[in-house]
Amino acid sequence: MKLLARTNRYYLGLSALLFVLGTGVLYTGLQHALAHEVDEQLQQQRTYLTERIRVTGALPTITMPQELTIDGPTRSESLRDTVIFDPVEHEAVPFRVISFPVTVQGQRHWLTLRKSLLETEDILKVILTVMLAVMALLFGSLLLLNQWLSRWLWAPFRHTLKALRGYQLQQPQSLVLPATPIDEFSELNQAVAQLTQRVAADYRALKEFTENAAHETQTPLAIMQAQLEQLVQDPELPERAVGAVQHVYRAALRLSRLHQALTLLSKIENRQFTDGVPVQLDAVVQEKLRQLHDFMEAKELRLEVGTLAPVSAVMHPGLAESLIGNLLQNAVKHNLPGGLLRVHLRAAALEITNTGPELRTDPMLLLGRFRKHNAASESPGLGLSIAEQICTYYGFRLSYSFIPAGALHTLRVTF
Amino acid sequence: MPPLRPAAAAVVFPYSVKILIVEDEAPLRTTLLDFLRHGGYICEIAENYEQAHEKIKLYQYDCVLVDLTLPDGSGLDLVRTLKADHSLAGVLIISARGSLDDKVQGLELGADDYLQKPFHLAELNARLRSIIRRRQFQGQRHIMFRDLTIFPDQTLVLVKDQPLTLTRREYDLLLFLLANPNRVLTKEAIAEHIWGDDADMADSFDFIYTHFKNLRKKLQEHGADNYIRTVYGLGYKLETA
Repeated sequence: MKLLARTNRYYLGLSALLFVLGTGVLYTGLQHALAHEVDEQLQQQRTYLTERIRVTGALPTITMPQELTIDGPTRSESLRDTVIFDPVEHEAVPFRVISFPVTVQGQRHWLTLRKSLLETEDILKVILTVMLAVMALLFGSLLLLNQWLSRWLWAPFRHTLKALRGYQLQQPQSLVLPATPIDEFSELNQAVAQLTQRVAADYRALKEFTENAAHETQTPLAIMQAQLEQLVQDPELPERAVGAVQHVYRAALRLSRLHQALTLLSKIENRQFTDGVPVQLDAVVQEKLRQLHDFMEAKELRLEVGTLAPVSAVMHPGLAESLIGNLLQNAVKHNLPGGLLRVHLRAAALEITNTGPELRTDPMLLLGRFRKHNAASESPGLGLSIAEQICTYYGFRLSYSFIPAGALHTLRVTF
Repeated sequence: MPPLRPAAAAVVFPYSVKILIVEDEAPLRTTLLDFLRHGGYICEIAENYEQAHEKIKLYQYDCVLVDLTLPDGSGLDLVRTLKADHSLAGVLIISARGSLDDKVQGLELGADDYLQKPFHLAELNARLRSIIRRRQFQGQRHIMFRDLTIFPDQTLVLVKDQPLTLTRREYDLLLFLLANPNRVLTKEAIAEHIWGDDADMADSFDFIYTHFKNLRKKLQEHGADNYIRTVYGLGYKLETA
């Protein structure tokens, strides 16, 4: 729920309550005051009539029978409310009635004075209508005010939010938020700016570290490799040394490949790749299949390219090659001689299927680092974890399925 | 075993090729210098950005080997300088950073090729030769070696003027050998040259063996001398004499 809607709801609740209470108090107050006024008027008339009768010594003439009755049914002194049917208006009309005795020429008469309360009711109605109208007006203007406030006052907040959404760690410039005169927002902006600066600094440090680590390790390896290659050129190199040199040489190569794979993994995890460009995945698949042709031929694999739709994905071209290369390499490497390699590329997913013995371990464990099917293999066993990391990086899903009939393993990348 | 001979005698360039090596790591620099001089190139070295910058401003090279990470600057700036000066020199980047972005950026700036450290010297030589061939002969180029003539543009191989039919892999192997005459090429270097990232697949050494066997057989059938020698346990070598 929007902050504004929530505040409005509370405003509305509170003002409704206050209005109900206020109207109630006002109504009773006014009614009380008006009744008091009517009573006072009746008392004044009584005093006036009593005085006139004493002076004139005669009963007054009745001009308005509704307002004055002489010797009516009431024979007690009282001040009370009553309802009288008005034949003209065809409705019951409330009256305030006072009855009192007067003595004319030694004879006792009962006078009854009445005053219609219809007018006071009308006044109350008008007051209530006015109150309700004021309330509606107040609500309406409150809503409008809040809307305007939210558009105007909250603009810096929304700007900050937009800037944060669009912020990327890889971008070289730090997040710049405009100054705002509102303390809360300017504090927020300051905190956000500090946070992004700190995160960006950490990110840069990490990136530099991985790059330096790569550089510092690969350089000695390059020296070793070059020197060893020069060493084997020497025709005088004794035969027993050749074996040792070869072992060191292979170990150096292995180390370098391992290091490259690990550097790639940490770079993906640290999101150190720049924005992608549209990559034609079908072309990458074809190119990788061509590169693996020798290995497929040697294993006499049956290649089935089911669907190869022209699928384009926005990726770093190097990572696209690495993903598809690793999956295909895996499917060739763990295939049986004379087995099947099937590739399906559709807009929704890439499926690579190969024949192979059923796995004894949990297949998803193979995505873990240094997991190898064959412990003696020289490859570091990072291919599938690299593929998985690339999938995670681009929000793809890598899943595995096995069909016992035909012993078919399928790795599926859902885009 | 004959003494090492300059390869220029074997694979003919019309004139001597001048190369600048920009590399800050001393052991690697001397190894490269030693290796390329043996390969018949005229080499100069620069230890840092400043030296390299001075040299490329003063002299003309056929090819510049640039390390990207230098103590006092970036190799990428050297590439920029060369391109801004419209230099005719080919540029081969060698970098330990291995970052795909560096590679893309380097090639976008106009570098001819990019080699990630560590690399095989034979691979470096093959790339270097291909850059120099592209730059110098502009289409009209062929490689001559003993009784072989090769036209890389047409992927045509002649043995004693008779065409020789080779598979793609055999042809690649032959060209790789020709780029590195008189050198032991390790199986690992050959595998990586041919299959790149897939070189550590289990069977690659067997393939190399088979391809070499077939290549030799074809050469022999055409009456060529047997100049491809197997160096036991290590790899293969193309002998100039």
